[in-house]
Amino acid sequence: MAEARRHDGGHHSNTVRALGREITVEGGIYTVVFGALALLTVIEVVSAEFLKGAIHDAPSAAVTLQAIKAIILLGIAIIKSSLVIWFYMHLREEKPLIAIVILLPLLIASLSIMYLLAIPPGGYSL
Amino acid sequence: MAELTADTLHAAAAHDDHGHISEEEHNNNMKLGVWLYLASEIVIFSIMIVGYIIFRINEKDIVAQAHDELGVGLVTANTFVLLASSFFMVMGLRAMQQGNRQGMLRWIGLTALGGIVFLGGQYIEYSELAHLGIALGFDDASAWSTFGMRFYAPTFFHGAHVFVGVLWALEVMRRGAKGRYDHNPIGIEMFGLYWHFVDVVWIMLFTLIYLV
Repeated sequence: MAEARRHDGGHHSNTVRALGREITVEGGIYTVVFGALALLTVIEVVSAEFLKGAIHDAPSAAVTLQAIKAIILLGIAIIKSSLVIWFYMHLREEKPLIAIVILLPLLIASLSIMYLLAIPPGGYSL
Repeated sequence: MAELTADTLHAAAAHDDHGHISEEEHNNNMKLGVWLYLASEIVIFSIMIVGYIIFRINEKDIVAQAHDELGVGLVTANTFVLLASSFFMVMGLRAMQQGNRQGMLRWIGLTALGGIVFLGGQYIEYSELAHLGIALGFDDASAWSTFGMRFYAPTFFHGAHVFVGVLWALEVMRRGAKGRYDHNPIGIEMFGLYWHFVDVVWIMLFTLIYLV
């Protein structure tokens, strides 16, 4: 158990430094991250509903608003995912090899998605 | 001997006289194995997600209508449950690392409960969708059947992962109650990696399928 404590990276502390202030809360950084995840989810849902209404009210700007909506929501989702991977999955304490293991399939999947998205709806015609 | 470096000395120290690896090295190998497994899962989920994205781009009206029918109330509540279960999970590992076995059992129990509640919410959602006619059908005349296939494939596959995670959590509790993780909580950490990954997948599915 002593070894586990040595390798915990200070995660057992209930005091966290965030936004220039020291916060003391049971669970420390894990509780702060959960609060951030919950807050980001609320922002995400409220933004989605607001922009959905805006698209409905202004059909002429629907394409632009839809693009803005997608960028905002995907940006928030990526931040939330990164928080979970970085803090809860402890990627910040792992060797770079682990980051490569997880980033490589993400890169390949992203390139494949871009390729598939580039195919016209009806497929290629000669 | 003059060429021995700190790294080679460390590597040699990691093995005992019988060539067995140290506990730390064993733990690192176990974690690497889980990360590699998760990497393969990324590719599988990506295929399903891209299938939905392409449908989303080509069939805007059907998806817009589906969003109106689906609503976000229940699924948002379900998302909070899964995020909370991820928090419970990491607190369970923290408790075990602090030598608090009872605390670990409580937190992992809450994690399993979160998974069960999530699955219950998904069951309610599927029942409501079935009433609306959004089913996993192969009726070419119905626009809903094409949406249903793209919707159910990733969400049900994810739900199956949550179900496996609940079973895994119960097994972790059974072993933990016997003191299996008192000296080395790697088993809890491996389960945690899986559970958090399932949470990350849901974060992306929730945004892509229900919100965008």
